[in-house]
Amino acid sequence: MTNLVKTYQRCKDYLEQPISIAPLVTFRLAFGLVMLFSTLRYMYLGWVDSQLVDPILHFSYYGFDWVKPLPRTGMYGLFVMMALACVAIILGWFYRLAALVFFLCFTYVELIDISYYLNHYYFVSIVAFLMIWLPANRHFSLDVFFRRVPEQKTVNRWCIDVLKLQIAIVYFYAGIAKINYDWLFKALPLSIWLPAKTSVPLIGFMFGYKSTAYLFSWMGMLFDTFIIGGLLHKKTRSLAYLAVVVFHILTGILFQIGIFPLVMIMVVTIFFSPAWHEKQLARLSSFFQKKKTFDQSQPKPVSSNTNSRLIYPFLTCFILFQLLFPWRYLVYPGNVFWTEEGYRFSWRVMLMEKAGTATFYVKNTETGREGSVINRQFLNAHQEKQMAMQPDLILQYAHYLKDHYTQQGMKDPSVRAEVWVTLNGRPAQLLIDPAVDLSTKEDGWATKDWILPFKNNEPQ
Amino acid sequence: MNTNIIFQGSISKGLQLLIFFVVFSLFSCGEDGDTAMEPAFDRGPLLQSMATKLIIPNFEALQTSVNTLASATDAFVTTTNEEHLTALRTAWVQAATDHQHCSAFGFGPGNLLLGSYAEVLGVFPVNEAGVEANILDAGFDLPNSFDRDIRGFYAVEYLIYGKGASDTELLTAFDQNRKDYLLLLVNELKTTFDTIVNEWNATYLQEFIANDGTSAGSSISLLYNEFVKDYENLKNFKLELPAGLTADQDAADGTLVEAFYSGISRDLIAEHFNNTKNSWLGLSRAGEEIMGFQSYLEMVVGGPALILNTKEAINQIDNAIAALPSGRLSDHAGSAEVKNLRDELQANTANFKSSMSSLLGISITFNSGDGD
Repeated sequence: MTNLVKTYQRCKDYLEQPISIAPLVTFRLAFGLVMLFSTLRYMYLGWVDSQLVDPILHFSYYGFDWVKPLPRTGMYGLFVMMALACVAIILGWFYRLAALVFFLCFTYVELIDISYYLNHYYFVSIVAFLMIWLPANRHFSLDVFFRRVPEQKTVNRWCIDVLKLQIAIVYFYAGIAKINYDWLFKALPLSIWLPAKTSVPLIGFMFGYKSTAYLFSWMGMLFDTFIIGGLLHKKTRSLAYLAVVVFHILTGILFQIGIFPLVMIMVVTIFFSPAWHEKQLARLSSFFQKKKTFDQSQPKPVSSNTNSRLIYPFLTCFILFQLLFPWRYLVYPGNVFWTEEGYRFSWRVMLMEKAGTATFYVKNTETGREGSVINRQFLNAHQEKQMAMQPDLILQYAHYLKDHYTQQGMKDPSVRAEVWVTLNGRPAQLLIDPAVDLSTKEDGWATKDWILPFKNNEPQ
Repeated sequence: MNTNIIFQGSISKGLQLLIFFVVFSLFSCGEDGDTAMEPAFDRGPLLQSMATKLIIPNFEALQTSVNTLASATDAFVTTTNEEHLTALRTAWVQAATDHQHCSAFGFGPGNLLLGSYAEVLGVFPVNEAGVEANILDAGFDLPNSFDRDIRGFYAVEYLIYGKGASDTELLTAFDQNRKDYLLLLVNELKTTFDTIVNEWNATYLQEFIANDGTSAGSSISLLYNEFVKDYENLKNFKLELPAGLTADQDAADGTLVEAFYSGISRDLIAEHFNNTKNSWLGLSRAGEEIMGFQSYLEMVVGGPALILNTKEAINQIDNAIAALPSGRLSDHAGSAEVKNLRDELQANTANFKSSMSSLLGISITFNSGDGD
């Protein structure tokens, strides 16, 4: 028992070691800037309309079907608010409120439609959530300038480490997810994706060769799995960061993945030494002619006043969840790439080439007449593409169709779907039982017994 | 997380990394043997071949037939008699046929303000009441109208074939207002296809060939997306809807067929699918071998299996088209043959719609895929 207490005390001491606040402050600036850019870009590209306002129906996250989009004006208002929150985060002005507002707005938008699910949206949500609790405004901020909060030069070690750990989880889990037969030994899906990229300037010619796909597959796996190690060690850090930059720029050129290469390149700087961050802040200060921010004659730093009795159990649970939740797929039978049961929220990024064609048939059980559905009447191209390969979305759409045709006056319609899916270049096979009335099935944590087993027919 | 097998060691990390790269490259080349050095498919020649031997010639043929239609209209308007009506109808049939060989190319110049040209000028069923109202409306402004079902090939068809009236009755009813509306519609067709052909030949051809990536907005993705949409239009609007096979319908409805007034629906369906085959198999309209989607599929992982599958499905569709009842399709809209053709088209949809884009790595939408 005393050992346990000692261990706890040692952990606590370690976590509460005072370390420079500088990495947290530059993280705040970097995160705020990238999110501001991302928010403005989203509006500029017209996605508020095309993704949130225009669609006739939205696919909900399980348990979040109460999240609905606002009308157009409200949606734009929310994005403006989100952009302002980013500005406030950057300035460190009413920081905690700004971080809370950003987290709520971002997560709300994310939850509107699961067909736009991206691992990195999930990552941003998590980081935004953590930022609410971190004292990132205790230095180099308007809150300090206006004396809304006392200035701090140090923070408890956990404030920095929790962000590092979060980033580590993303890379490491993305890496071990790549340790599978298709990825390593068939170089799939990269041997499908890369040959399509031969028109990329300068390096395009490489992608014509099968060995490039193998090289990229293995390098990608090794990079994701081990990069954190390289970032943690002082000696390897610059090289590792160079690898991060090259890796993300390369994926950014090759795949249409928006701002996420930039997000990762920016947030990974948290692994740099406090001295590096202090230098950057000093540079920034001199730019704003506000020198002496790290002057030793500043008032004595106030230690973080966060209540450790609450924060530690909470952090432990949060991290345990992060570590364990991605493994839930092991509980489900079958191939996780095929069933997608336990696929999301597990840092499986750019891992498979999957596409489907889903045709729905609605039957008037009163007359026995069955008719097909023209998906384009209800879904945009992106929604249809995502729905056609993900069983839970197929189910949601089937329920939507049942409701729609019930409203049209059809008595107790049944809905079935013929869904042909190709995975990593294999000939298409039926994803779900085409005879099952999907409108009688409910989504949930239980195994979806109407998903047909995956037949491993190798691509030829 | 603290140790790192790659970066472990002391001084020359760069050298180590270099050695790793080299060794690894050798390893992967060696393992893969001959296939490793197979060069990837070059999309430039495919785009060039399809543009210069299929797309542009087909649009030029349509331009010619629409111009013939325009002069036949002029003659008919000047001297409204049976002879000119017959010539006008012949010209329309040719134009409607040539349209089938272009409807899949509604991108670039073929994409109009209101969408792909076929979705603007190839719309059916015609809004008969709307057409009649516009004829009587002296202030009607076609260029500024957003209605699609009162213009284009099938509104012209409605005017020159009529609905059940005898030719004499039709000619008698052709007053100046009707003539003016016909001129308006035909002129819009003429201007549109003159412009499309001019744009292709002036600048778009080079642009099209140069844009040889696979991202959303690349030529191959435009070509592919329109190809799939056009194929689904054939299935959904030319067969499923008239056959009453959608969930919204209770029964077949012959008035929903394409070319209801002239009754040439069956021929147009065959022509439509001919163009689908030409794009996929790599054939010009005259049957000359060119490059098509198949040439691209031959070069990618999983391609040969998909080619086999698709060819089999194409044969089935050809048989089903041949088996369609002759005469007016509108009289047989609910027939087993129509349903069978729809089913065969449906059976091939996944080959075209998801399997092909998946193997070719073509982006279907602008939205980001899963980020890395």
